[in-house]
Amino acid sequence: MMPEAAGLPTLTGDSEPVLEFDLRVDRADFSLQAAGQFGPGITAVFGPSGAGKSTLLGAIAGSVSPASGHIALFDRMLYSSAHNVNLSPERRRVGFVYQDAALFPHMSVQSNIEYGYRLTPSDRRRLKPNDLADLLAISHLLQRRPAELSGGEKQRVALARTLATSPELLLLDEPMSALDIRLRGIVIGYLRLVHRELAMPMVYVSHSISEVLAIADAAMVLDNGRVTAFDAPRRLLNRVSVGENDASDFAVDNILEGQIVESHTSGAAGKVRIGSALITAPTGHREFGEKVVVAIGSQEIIVATERPSGISARNVLGGAIKSIDGDGPTRIVTVDCGADLMAEVTAAAIVELGLETGKQVYLVVKSSSITVMDAFRDQSATGAR
Amino acid sequence: MNSDLSIVLLSLQIAGLAMALVIPLGIATAWLLARRNFRGKFILEAATTLPLALPPVLVGFVLLWATGGNSWPGRAVNSLFGVDIVFTWVAAAIAAAVVAFPLSVRAFTSAIAGVDSRLEVAARGLGAGPLRVFFTITLPLAYRGVLAGVLLGFVRAFSEFGATIVIAGNIPGRTQTVPSAIFTRISTGDDAAVWRLAIVSVVIAIAALGAHNYLLRRSGDESRGASR
Repeated sequence: MMPEAAGLPTLTGDSEPVLEFDLRVDRADFSLQAAGQFGPGITAVFGPSGAGKSTLLGAIAGSVSPASGHIALFDRMLYSSAHNVNLSPERRRVGFVYQDAALFPHMSVQSNIEYGYRLTPSDRRRLKPNDLADLLAISHLLQRRPAELSGGEKQRVALARTLATSPELLLLDEPMSALDIRLRGIVIGYLRLVHRELAMPMVYVSHSISEVLAIADAAMVLDNGRVTAFDAPRRLLNRVSVGENDASDFAVDNILEGQIVESHTSGAAGKVRIGSALITAPTGHREFGEKVVVAIGSQEIIVATERPSGISARNVLGGAIKSIDGDGPTRIVTVDCGADLMAEVTAAAIVELGLETGKQVYLVVKSSSITVMDAFRDQSATGAR
Repeated sequence: MNSDLSIVLLSLQIAGLAMALVIPLGIATAWLLARRNFRGKFILEAATTLPLALPPVLVGFVLLWATGGNSWPGRAVNSLFGVDIVFTWVAAAIAAAVVAFPLSVRAFTSAIAGVDSRLEVAARGLGAGPLRVFFTITLPLAYRGVLAGVLLGFVRAFSEFGATIVIAGNIPGRTQTVPSAIFTRISTGDDAAVWRLAIVSVVIAIAALGAHNYLLRRSGDESRGASR
């Protein structure tokens, strides 16, 4: 790549970096200084509010002007103070999905999606509006106005609208913050699907570690305008003290894909297979074989060192501890019980129970604390994965 | 009665041409005021508001000085068309445009400022240039407020008197508008004829202001709905 690339923090492994930057942004009361190479996967930019996450994204998209430095996407220079290059936003081929979707309220869903598609030169159109609408399961909404959509639908339309410009990189600025946890699981599923099906590199800004863990291959941590860590998301738990910030921001949730293997027309709890684990959960009226997404709050899972008996909780899952992450008063214990489940445990309890990697433990989960959602329209069934 | 009708029609024609000048210039000015920061912005702000604060007669005097036979615009028009602007219905329209401009620009500016600028940024990100963003996003979302500004400017242009009489005079059949005809009839004591034109003025004003208020209320509803 560029000669400036030498010495930038990188997590791209064997693959060529997609995005590379080394830049400084000066504001009256704030300055951002960040450098890195992002790979073809999903890279999260993580940190508290005001850390400079959105500023970094704006600089990549072209809506924020850096004071100096460079930004390169594949082999194209988007910005370089040394070479006096500063491409306008519409020439960067960078897609942006906003926190609040920012759909055009005076246009139908279809017109929204086609807005950027029509402006994309025909030789660069790789993704068709109709295919994207199918992929994101919004085909039935095309004639509606944005005001008639739910929050999750809005984000899917915004995603389709941006993807229809066939960007080379997708930037997402806290796209979940306006959604409740159920919708977050669904939208995360769609983002994974988009990444898998379209091989779309993404930069995902979030202040929620659960989202970062659920979606990202690598994560850059920003604090007060500086990069404090750049690593695999799971390893970041060691550096970001869980529980230091607002608890709801840092609640780690298990968001897993599964399949209904037992359900009752009465609506009583059925069974979901996740990996090789069987979990009793409120499956509602879903049918046998149906694919679902299961969300379990990490705070809802109890860790026991012996198989508990005589308890009302319906799920007792045995497995070995894969890792214990975090260094605050609250730690994340990941247990392989057929599927990897994360449980939040206090540091004191870890010492008391003698928890360590490899130790056999039992996870106790009440079925009522499990949320079963409709799966995003998954095309992995056709063999792509 | 027939002369009443032709007076009203001429007034509508003058106000119409005035607004044809105000709309493009006013929207461009409003966009600059609402969306751009530049050196000397306050000068533009003051200049667009000034005609509102000055006596219209003085505005007329300044226009006379700027477009008269000895000014360069006056000379340019004379050499191109062989006529003078002053004391024509076009001069009356220019006077009406100048006094209506501040009112319209104020309404246009708040209408454009009311459009969520993130939508414009989003459109830019989707590949649209600034002009396309303006015509496909900003203007369609601001149109009620813009229309309200047009109506407000129109009633002001229709009722313009002070600047008009200086630059266009009060020539029956050529530059005599509803207000200048009312002035003439008051000075000749023809009260019945004054009342006829007064009724026309009131009807046009009420219709325009009613539509203006309705549009503003609707655009308020819409921006609240869109923000959710």
